[in-house]
Amino acid sequence: MAARILQGIAVSAGVSVGKAFFLNRRRFDLIPRQTVAQDLAPFEEERLRLAFELTQADMAAARDKVPAELKEHAAIINTHLAICKDPKLLNKALKTVREMGITAEWALEKAVDEIGEAFSAIEDPYIRERYQDVQVVADRIQSRLMGQGKIGDIKAIRNRAVLLAHDLTPADTIGIEVSKIMSLATEMGGKTSHTGILARSLQIPALVGVTDLEEHVMDGQLVIIDGLKGRLIVDPDEEELAYYSDLKYQFEDYQASIIRDCSLPGETLDGYRVEVLANIELFEEVTAALDSGAEGVGLYRTEYSFLNRRELPSEEELFEEYSEMASIMHPRTVVFRTLDVGGDKILKDWNLPGEPNPALGLRAIRFCLKHRDLFIRQLRAILRASEFGNIAVMFPMISGLKEVREAKALWQRARQELRAEGRRIAQDIPLGIMVELPSAVMIAESLAREVDFFSIGTNDLIQYSLGIDRTNKHVSYLYQPLHPSVVRSIKQVVDAAHQVGIEVAVCGEVASDPYCVPILMGMQVDALSIAPQAIPGIKRVIRQTTMDECKGLLKHVLESDTVGAINRHVKDAIFKRSPEELTFYSSILDMDEG
Amino acid sequence: MNEKHIQHDTSANTRHVCVRNELGLHARPAARLAQEAQRFASDIQLIQGDLEVDAKSILDILSLAAGQGCALTLKAEGEDAGQALDHLSTFIENLLPEEN
Repeated sequence: MAARILQGIAVSAGVSVGKAFFLNRRRFDLIPRQTVAQDLAPFEEERLRLAFELTQADMAAARDKVPAELKEHAAIINTHLAICKDPKLLNKALKTVREMGITAEWALEKAVDEIGEAFSAIEDPYIRERYQDVQVVADRIQSRLMGQGKIGDIKAIRNRAVLLAHDLTPADTIGIEVSKIMSLATEMGGKTSHTGILARSLQIPALVGVTDLEEHVMDGQLVIIDGLKGRLIVDPDEEELAYYSDLKYQFEDYQASIIRDCSLPGETLDGYRVEVLANIELFEEVTAALDSGAEGVGLYRTEYSFLNRRELPSEEELFEEYSEMASIMHPRTVVFRTLDVGGDKILKDWNLPGEPNPALGLRAIRFCLKHRDLFIRQLRAILRASEFGNIAVMFPMISGLKEVREAKALWQRARQELRAEGRRIAQDIPLGIMVELPSAVMIAESLAREVDFFSIGTNDLIQYSLGIDRTNKHVSYLYQPLHPSVVRSIKQVVDAAHQVGIEVAVCGEVASDPYCVPILMGMQVDALSIAPQAIPGIKRVIRQTTMDECKGLLKHVLESDTVGAINRHVKDAIFKRSPEELTFYSSILDMDEG
Repeated sequence: MNEKHIQHDTSANTRHVCVRNELGLHARPAARLAQEAQRFASDIQLIQGDLEVDAKSILDILSLAAGQGCALTLKAEGEDAGQALDHLSTFIENLLPEEN
C-alpha cells in the first residue's frame, strides 16, 4: 500500500519513526447498534456495570498517581470520577438496555445523548460546557465496553512507540511512562494545546490537529512523525524511511549541538550582544529556562495563578510565588507582567455579558485600573518580592500616557503603603510597558519618557495593526508577521526608545523565529524574550550572523512594500548563512507564498 | 435529569440551605457534594424552586446551576436521613474555595 501523508500542526520539533499505539480514539468505528434477545438483556446490563466499574478503577488509579504539584489535574480527574460514579448515567443506560432491548454500547450512547440534551438547556455557559466532561467519561466507558480495555493502557507497550490519540487530556498523560514514547500525535488540538506543552517538556516530536488520524492509522502500523514540517506518514516506503532516518539523525545532531552551546552569550560574529531571555507562563518552566541558557526572564505571565479558581489568590500567596521566582533566577532579572486578562477569565462573576468583542474590551491594564484593589494586591506582592532578587515590572496593553501615569501612581501608592508598614523593598525597580497597540507605537517617544524600558508584544501588535484575529480561520491568512506596517512599527518603537535612552526588548513569536530575528538584530533591539525551548536555536542564529549582514537585510526589508518581497529577502539571508540548518528551522512565516 | 414538580414540602425531613461560595455549585463542589451524599443510605433530594434532583448525582446537581446566594432545600428519606441532612447542610453552607 502506498504511503499516505496526513497533515498536522507541528508543536514540538523533531523526527521519529515507529509503530503506532493508540491511547484513545474518539470515533468508535462500529458501535454495535443492535437489538438483543430478551434473555440476553441481563448480560448487556452486566457488561455495562462492569465497564463502569473498570473505568472508575482506572480513573482512581490515575488520580492517585498524580504528583502533588499537579493538583489541578487531580481535581479534573476527580470530577470525571464523580460523573462515572453518577447513578444517573448508569441507571439511564441500564434502563435503556431493558426497555429497548439493545446493546450496552448503543444504550450508553443514547443515555449520553439524553444527558447532552438536558445540558444544552442550561443557561450558565460554564456548566453547559461540562457536558464535554460527560463525553470524556462516556468515551472511556465505551472503549471498555468494546473490548478495547487495552486502549489507554500504556503499559501494554513493549517497545517504544509513537503515541496516537484523539486528544490528550491532562488526565490521560499522567500515567504515561515517558521512556516508552518516541513521539505524539493527536487528531484534536491546536498550537496552544496541552499536548504541545507536554511534548516540548519531554523533548519529543509532536503533531496536533492531524486530519483523519484515527481513520487512516491502525495500531501497530509503521508511521513517521515529521515534527519539522507537520506531517505524519503512514506506511512509508523504503525511500521515505531512508530519508527520514537520515533527517532524524541530522536533527538530533543539530539539537545536541545547539544545546551544548546554549549557555554561550547571544553574540554576533562581529561582537554585537543581544540578551536572550525566557517567556514563562507556568512557574515550573523556570527550570527549562535555566537549562536552555536564558539570561533572565523577559516576560513572566502572571495570569496563571489567577485562572481557574474560585477565589482570587491572596497577596501572601502571590508574594510567595513571586519571591521564589525572583530568588531562583537571581542574579538574573525577572520581568513581571501585570495581569493581562479580562475579568471573565478570572472569575465568572466578572464576566461582562455586554462585551461582544473581548479583544477590544475591558482587559489587561484597563481591567486592572478599574479593579484597583486587585491591582494593588498584585503590585504589593511584586514589590515585596523585590527583596529576593532582581525584578522589573511592566504593564500590558498600554494605549496612552494617561494609563501609564495612573499605573505608575498605583505602583507608588503600593510602595508607600509597604514602606509605612516597615517592609523592605528594593530601591530601583525598573518599570516598563508592553508596546502592542498601534496607538502606543505612534506615541512611542512620549511613552518612552515615562518608563525605564519597552517590551514589544508582537503577537498582539500584528493582530491589532492588521485588524485580524489569527484564530479565526477565515482571516488567518492575513496574519503576516512581516507585513511592512509591522516591520516599520517595530522599527519606529526601537528608534524612539533608543532616542530617549531606554532599552527595548521584543517578546512574541517574531522574536523566536529564526527568519525574523536577523531583522530585529538589524534594528539593534536590546533583548529577545522567547519560549525557553527556542533559546538554544535562536542563540545559534545570532551567533552565526554579523550585525553588518543584519543591517543590510533590514535595509532591504524596509525598502520593500510587499510581504512577499520581504519574506524573500529574509529567506535569502538565512539561506546564505546556514543552508544546512534551514531544514530544522520552523517559522511562523508562510514561506510557500511568493 | 429528573425534574419533578413538587407540591409543597415543609415536613421534618427537610433542611434549608444557602449556597455561599462564590462560584456556586460548579463542577468540583458538585462532585464533592455527590460524593458526600453517596455515603448515606437515604434517598436525598436537592430542591431549588420547583426543581427536585438527586443529590447523589453530579449531573443532577449541575443541572440546578445553583449560583452564589441560591436558596436550596435538602430532603432526605431513610434510616440515616437526620445524619444526612446535618452533614450535607453543613457541607453546603461551608463550601469554601477549593483547598486542594
